[in-house]
Amino acid sequence: MTTRRGFLATLLAASAAPATGWAAAGDPAYLAAAKDPQGGFVLAGLQADGAELFRIPLPARGHAGCAHPRRAEAVGFARRPGTYALVIDCAGGSVLHRLAAPEGHSFNGHGAYSADGTRLFTSEQVAEGSAGRVGVWDVAAGYRRIGGFATQGLGPHELRLMPDGASLVVANGGIQTDAFDRTMLNIETMRPSLAYLGLEGDLLDLVELEPDLRQNSIRHLALRGDGLVGFAMQWQGEPGAAPPLLGLHRRGGAVTLCQAPLAEELVMDGYAGSVAFDGSGTEIAITSPRGGRLHRFADTGAYLGAVSRADVCGLAAHAQGYLASDGLGGLLLVEAAQARPLRRAGLSWDNHIVPVGGQGHA
Amino acid sequence: MILRATLCLLCLASPLRAGVPEALTGHILPGYAGFAEAAGDLAEAARQDCTAPALRARYQLAFDAWTVVGDIRMGPSETGALAVVFWPDARGFTPRTLQGFIADQAPVGRDPAAYAEASIAARGLFALEQMLYGAEFAGYAPGSYACALVQTMTADMAAQAQALQDGWRDGFAPVLLSAGGPGNASFLSETEAMAALYTQVMSSLEVTADTRLGRPLGSFDRPRPTRAEAWRAGRSLRNVLLYARAARDLAVMLAPGPLPQTDAALARLEELAGRVSDPGLQDLDDPAARLRLEIVQQQVRTLRDTIGAELGAPLGLSAGFNSADGD
Repeated sequence: MTTRRGFLATLLAASAAPATGWAAAGDPAYLAAAKDPQGGFVLAGLQADGAELFRIPLPARGHAGCAHPRRAEAVGFARRPGTYALVIDCAGGSVLHRLAAPEGHSFNGHGAYSADGTRLFTSEQVAEGSAGRVGVWDVAAGYRRIGGFATQGLGPHELRLMPDGASLVVANGGIQTDAFDRTMLNIETMRPSLAYLGLEGDLLDLVELEPDLRQNSIRHLALRGDGLVGFAMQWQGEPGAAPPLLGLHRRGGAVTLCQAPLAEELVMDGYAGSVAFDGSGTEIAITSPRGGRLHRFADTGAYLGAVSRADVCGLAAHAQGYLASDGLGGLLLVEAAQARPLRRAGLSWDNHIVPVGGQGHA
Repeated sequence: MILRATLCLLCLASPLRAGVPEALTGHILPGYAGFAEAAGDLAEAARQDCTAPALRARYQLAFDAWTVVGDIRMGPSETGALAVVFWPDARGFTPRTLQGFIADQAPVGRDPAAYAEASIAARGLFALEQMLYGAEFAGYAPGSYACALVQTMTADMAAQAQALQDGWRDGFAPVLLSAGGPGNASFLSETEAMAALYTQVMSSLEVTADTRLGRPLGSFDRPRPTRAEAWRAGRSLRNVLLYARAARDLAVMLAPGPLPQTDAALARLEELAGRVSDPGLQDLDDPAARLRLEIVQQQVRTLRDTIGAELGAPLGLSAGFNSADGD
């Protein structure tokens, strides 16, 4: 790994230019946040083989939320209560902007850039009542907030730009949390949804689950280039119910639920932490750090198999399958039913791996 | 279902291979061999006489043997254990599935090989508990469908036990022992293997405190005795003790030296459990009985904390990064 100091020195000339491209950061394939052994937090840039290109200190635990399509800039969101987000210069290693959530709002850990990179959309909720909001930020104006609109649901989590570049898909988790202590307030009546929104906030499509699955909070998303959306869920109902934790949807179509065999679902413990299509786009996987398990499904919804790995959570498409990361520092290449270790970093990888370049469409 | 307890990580730089081979050869592999033998004995007994009264003693022995390794959830046991112990069964899958088989005289109930594909709710120790002790099931006659079903279920469980033994001995033990080796995607270092085994110890005691005891205790106003584990077989309290002994035994195998505080905590647990009046925990409406069980629950947590302090802390163990913090 290049040390940050040495790395900065070599980039001194390059970083003088504004809006540096990803090449200046070494063309990382992925970004991932992590905790280092000293208890500090970092944002790391990774090559496809898992090798580390850079490591930038973060002031607190954060999510690697999203990567700008061209500029070497990433947005990291603070953990709860999520009052701020940082725009990080991945070439220079500095914090370029600190975005403050509007008064009474909090960031919910995810965001997405527009295809041309001129807008940043952030997933937010109003503290009082948990109504979902999309914050809109003008990138060229130094990430100035220029507006916002409703997500048409409560407690939104991940949001993504659709491959058409003209719409967003939002995972409305459906959970209302107490403004101060984050206690869940509406588990009996929650209604998660998948909302498709125009970039001005117009509602294009709202997808809800059958009533017996309404306690399945929709939280994370994976997109395929043809518009197929995978959504990963977290069960809030009775333990042991073993509900499906992954759904597939295409606008205008019906939801396909992806169900693993009962014993496999029980191992997942009702919890999916990340979702991604594989590099070929023919299959999709979810991870459960609680179960230490990854489940693979065909794009038709058929169960393909499991991979066991303690504390596995981060997941992204890889040319040969998937890249998975875990809290023990492991980076694994999952190739069909086979997992092999790429590297073990002296870091605890955070929940997500963010692909760089486009929006991570398979 | 079974609570996944805190995953523990080893943060030590130095390899700690010692403990993993000992845990395998001194506890885990003999444990699966013992269960395979006991499950085989139960199946053989059922071939001779499949009626419930004839099988209960062998059933109890098989359950005893299971508890030595019954809370281990890794390798072949990660999903395999769930087909041996499908519990808790909050939605009543087990009695419903068995009733369906009996009502339909389902052919699968006469075919041990096909039974491997039956719902896990209808397999293993808790499905057998319904057949051998459940008021609505246990009165079946020799030669009945239910009697054949019990023969099938015991044969299926014996096959499962054999598969677990083989899977551990030939498949997963080498993976644990080659931790950190090239191509080992399960354990990227020797310390990860150690941490994974230690996690089994801690998880077991958490499941016992939170689920085996926590479920029947319910709330003071509403105790839920029929949520106790294996209450029909009258062995709820026995399971608490046997699983705790197994946790202690595995901890000892992992430890570089003796664990006197752990042993003392287990001895105290046995003493407190001796004061519990009903081994099936069906008297929890009585506040005095409830209090005695709460004291047992507290002591299980004390045992866990003692192992954490005596074994875990010196090794630098802490909670998992992602599993401990949802997103």
